[in-house]
Amino acid sequence: MRLLTLLSLTLLGGVTGSLAAASAKKTPQERFQLYHAKSLSSSPVKLSDPSYRELTATPRDYAVAVLLTAMDARYGCQLCREFQPEWELLARSWTGGDKAGESRVVFGTLDFGDGRDIFMSLGLQTAPVLFFFPPTAGPHAAASAEPIRYDFTGGAQAAEVVHSWVARHLPDRPHPPIKRPINWMRWISSLVILSGGLTVSFVAWPYVLPVIQSRTVWAAVTLISILLFTSGHMFNHIRNVPYVAGDGRGGISYFASGFQNQYGLETQIVAAMYGILALSSISLAIKVPRMSDPRAQGVAFIAWFGILFVVYSLLLSIFRGKNPGYTFSLPPFM
Amino acid sequence: MSKSSGKVKAGQLWSKNKDELTKQLGELKTELSQLRIQKIVSSGTKLTKIHDIRKSIARVLTVINAKQRAQLRLFYKNKKYLPLDLRAKQTRAIRRRLSPEDASRVLEKTKKRQTHFPQRKFAVKHHQPPTQATMSADPLQVLASAGKGESTRGLLRVIILALIAGAAIASRLFSVIRFESIIHEFDPWFNFRATKYLVANGFYNFWDWFDDRTWHPLGRVTGGTLYPGLMVTSGVIYHALRALTIPVDIRNICVLLAPAFSGLTAVAAYLLTNEMTPSSSAGLLAALFMGIAPGYISRSVAGSYDNEAIAIFLLVFTFYLWIKALKQGSMLWGALCALFYGYMVASWGGYAFITCLLPLHAFVLVCMGRYSTRLYVAYTTWYALGTLASMQIPFVGFLPVKTSEHMPALGIFGFLQLLAFLDYVRSAIPSRQFQTFLWLFAGGTFGLGLLGLVVATSAGFIAPWSGRFYSLWDTGYAKIHIPIIASVSEHQPTAWPAFFFDLNMLIWLFPVGVYLCFQQLADEHVFIVVYALFGSYFAGVMVRLMLTLTPVVCVAAAIAVSTLLDTYLSVKTPKPEASQPAEAAEGKKAAKSGLKSTNKPVVGIYAVWGKSMMVSALAVYLLLFVLHCTWVTSNAYSSPSVVLASRMPDGSQHIIDDYREAYQWLRQNTREDAKIMSWWDYGYQIGGMADRPTLVDNNTWNNTHIATVGKAMSSREEVSYPIMRQHEVDYVLVVFGGLLGYSGDDINKFLWMVRIAEGIWPDEVSERAFFTQRGEYRVDGEATETMKNSLMYKMSYYNYNNLFPAGQAVDRMRQARLPEVGPTLSTMEEAFTSENWIIRIYKVKDLDNLGRDHMSAAAFDRGHKKKKATKKRGPRSLRVD
Repeated sequence: MRLLTLLSLTLLGGVTGSLAAASAKKTPQERFQLYHAKSLSSSPVKLSDPSYRELTATPRDYAVAVLLTAMDARYGCQLCREFQPEWELLARSWTGGDKAGESRVVFGTLDFGDGRDIFMSLGLQTAPVLFFFPPTAGPHAAASAEPIRYDFTGGAQAAEVVHSWVARHLPDRPHPPIKRPINWMRWISSLVILSGGLTVSFVAWPYVLPVIQSRTVWAAVTLISILLFTSGHMFNHIRNVPYVAGDGRGGISYFASGFQNQYGLETQIVAAMYGILALSSISLAIKVPRMSDPRAQGVAFIAWFGILFVVYSLLLSIFRGKNPGYTFSLPPFM
Repeated sequence: MSKSSGKVKAGQLWSKNKDELTKQLGELKTELSQLRIQKIVSSGTKLTKIHDIRKSIARVLTVINAKQRAQLRLFYKNKKYLPLDLRAKQTRAIRRRLSPEDASRVLEKTKKRQTHFPQRKFAVKHHQPPTQATMSADPLQVLASAGKGESTRGLLRVIILALIAGAAIASRLFSVIRFESIIHEFDPWFNFRATKYLVANGFYNFWDWFDDRTWHPLGRVTGGTLYPGLMVTSGVIYHALRALTIPVDIRNICVLLAPAFSGLTAVAAYLLTNEMTPSSSAGLLAALFMGIAPGYISRSVAGSYDNEAIAIFLLVFTFYLWIKALKQGSMLWGALCALFYGYMVASWGGYAFITCLLPLHAFVLVCMGRYSTRLYVAYTTWYALGTLASMQIPFVGFLPVKTSEHMPALGIFGFLQLLAFLDYVRSAIPSRQFQTFLWLFAGGTFGLGLLGLVVATSAGFIAPWSGRFYSLWDTGYAKIHIPIIASVSEHQPTAWPAFFFDLNMLIWLFPVGVYLCFQQLADEHVFIVVYALFGSYFAGVMVRLMLTLTPVVCVAAAIAVSTLLDTYLSVKTPKPEASQPAEAAEGKKAAKSGLKSTNKPVVGIYAVWGKSMMVSALAVYLLLFVLHCTWVTSNAYSSPSVVLASRMPDGSQHIIDDYREAYQWLRQNTREDAKIMSWWDYGYQIGGMADRPTLVDNNTWNNTHIATVGKAMSSREEVSYPIMRQHEVDYVLVVFGGLLGYSGDDINKFLWMVRIAEGIWPDEVSERAFFTQRGEYRVDGEATETMKNSLMYKMSYYNYNNLFPAGQAVDRMRQARLPEVGPTLSTMEEAFTSENWIIRIYKVKDLDNLGRDHMSAAAFDRGHKKKKATKKRGPRSLRVD
């Protein structure tokens, strides 16, 4: 990798050299002035093959941050599209906060469509790639002219994160803060929704009030949330577990193996079983003794009792599947 | 209208208006006077007509009058006073009577007298002289009647409770019987060390204790940064026993403190449940569940000398006192509640659970329109005294008025003051509009207070949510911002098997109990509902908080089981026809109670076979529960983790005692002040068992210091050595499970060290570098260079391949074949490796005598010649001119 970059730099330098020779050799100061002026009108500067080479040529007394990206829909680069607005925001607010160019940074974007050769020569297989070229001359010169690569392992980052990364590589220079534009649309829409909600609640109040005051509604809400929490819903929420998974033979496995694992569907099954067990117990405790007809009571009792017995046995057998050392069971699922 | 139309019908008059009526009245009156004249003129002719006209006049007048009154009633409808003639007349006595509200008013004093000294009901028992016949009565008869009398029942209850407490203690003694009386795990070792310090140096020295043997070179103000309740409790017990001339070793007190308190917890659960339901069997069941539920046993086995050991008892007992105070509106119970709350604050950081739950309960009650003087007295007493008590603990200090997690309690306190004031005003000014205004005023003030709180928080007057507490709400917070909290295994979210493992059948009886609480929904049942909801949420987010959920699960499940038992265990069988008429009468009355399912009256169970089936099934379930609890306790929660047990091939037990072996080695072979560096998990044990200073320990208050250790462990030797020299490290201790297949070793925890170090030095340590290209965490030949060069890797696998034939070294924990050539160490040397290689201790080399750096010195020792320094080349750079 290192060899490759070195090679590419050699190549790059050579090309720049010839280019510079052709186009009336600019000093680093002139180049910075040129690109800074460009970036004042639109930051980040949209680069192409030759301008990229010119900008990153050594020696340079300024720093360059270049995002190599592939915005064309053909490449289907989700990450590029997600990161692009953040990158533009960062470049805009940095350049806007540093009009005089005291920090001596130029932000640039090179799209794959404009700089195919650069991508080839750098051997880049993926996009986006963010390079930071430290200055090689002047008071802040770095030891190596090699660019520093930003790691996109954590997905598309917010502009603030990249800002702190850039700022870390630019000690003792001004770091204009990020200014996020106020999202008027969002404010207005949330205001409208809020007032709409208030109106609706005011109008519907007489109909909502009996629902709010109903004990049955509260009991249902409480019991459902208790069932959700005790069946491991929060675990799913925090760990982002898959809903179901294949068992490796083309089928679906509903229950994760292992004591510390679970699937989304698995927790729903367990919650349903807890719910059935609780419901049958409630019926046995409250409903059945309130039935005045002996025959109906007998039938209801047998039904609920059987459900309770079978489901609890099933629950035990599922638990045995999760924890192989577990020894207890009840018929019929022995 | 035709004149002299004969009789006027009142029914026709109602539709006419006032003018028409007056007009008709005038006409009728003229007709009457004409008739009177006619009567005089021609005597005795038209007498009947006069009668009819007079009646007609009366009818018209009646209608006019009635209409007028109706208008007046309409006019005065919303006025404060009604004219006297429009009021209901009734009788004078009725008019002078008190309103029902006033009539039922009772003095506060009388109310108390009635609750405390209710009128006693005596039943006169027919006394039978003891004759020969009764003396020799059937012993079965005596046994059957034994449970009848009130005092016998009380005695039975006490005996059963004592037996339950005994069972609770006994089920926690597995580890003492299997191993020995030993302190478990990590934190208990610090508590044990602190207790020894307290017993040896007295309370005031303990209070001012500055411990310079931990967090070297920083030290720790231990007296001001711990919860002293646990140590003080054991200290008091120790001195009390000494005063009774019973010489007991302080270690045995510490080991057995948790089981002893679990017995008390069972009793507290009994008391709490008795407040919820009139059925006394529910309390006993709750005590039984509380005594043996694995969710509580997990933190209270013998030797688990941790804050939770006493805190759960205090939690349940504080809740009991709160319910008692709320039910009676009594200051005494409120003060007792505050006292135990103070004890709880002194014992465990989890006191915030009470601090948030009680205000929440009060708030829910107010929202339900159940504000009462009882609530006011109970809450304000608890809050004022409890907050004062909690502020006496140096570690808590002024937190109750400064941090956000205490703000709900303070806010509700203010809100209740406001409500009490408004309640007073309302009783003085009985105007309806004014009341509406007042309620609006109360709501507005509440909103303003909330706004003020938000402003004060954002302005920095009140500390924002502290990390640990906040991570309960925003579950992704800790992972991003506080890796040290996320790294602890007991802070992980709970999967469903853990719930079932810890609570067994209680987990599905729990919703049943909560549902039954909704039936009556008195103030105390609201408490159970609120507690159940929040307890289950917290337990779902953090495994550790299963502990706070367990009490409410036990109470609710006990209510459910006792309802089932009471229904199906009654001997009486209802008569089908007798219950029919009662149904209609009671149906109306019960309709108001709220839950649909309880509208009908209870009939009872007809079939005897049904009763016996249900009771025997319940008995089987309960038996299974007991077996489950015993099995879980014996298999999962009784391992001291300092001593490991394994089975030999022939089935006999083999004790693996590497930890104590290594700590003993440290104690005997190193200087008194030799600094030991290890990952923070082992800091307390090294302090407690080896008695040597450590760099970091389980009290994770200084993240940077821990990250320093993490950096030293995860960097190359050249980087780590200066760090260790700067911190005067003499020995480094690592835990290695590769030989034995022990999962809790440092290589498995290594990524957390990297993450925590990366949080402070993102440029120097990168988690990415420890994963291979394909994103795997490997230790074999394909491990990344960063991994292979890290100090932790080198120390773990140093010399390890010498145990095996060449090229066959295997890490049994990770099932990985290790490279043929093992790592080399140049800045440290192996000092000690325990029997099963679980603990490895390395000595950090001093500076080289000849002034060489350690790499070249080690290379020289291995027999390599010193390389000739070749001509130094600068970085290759390209010149462009």
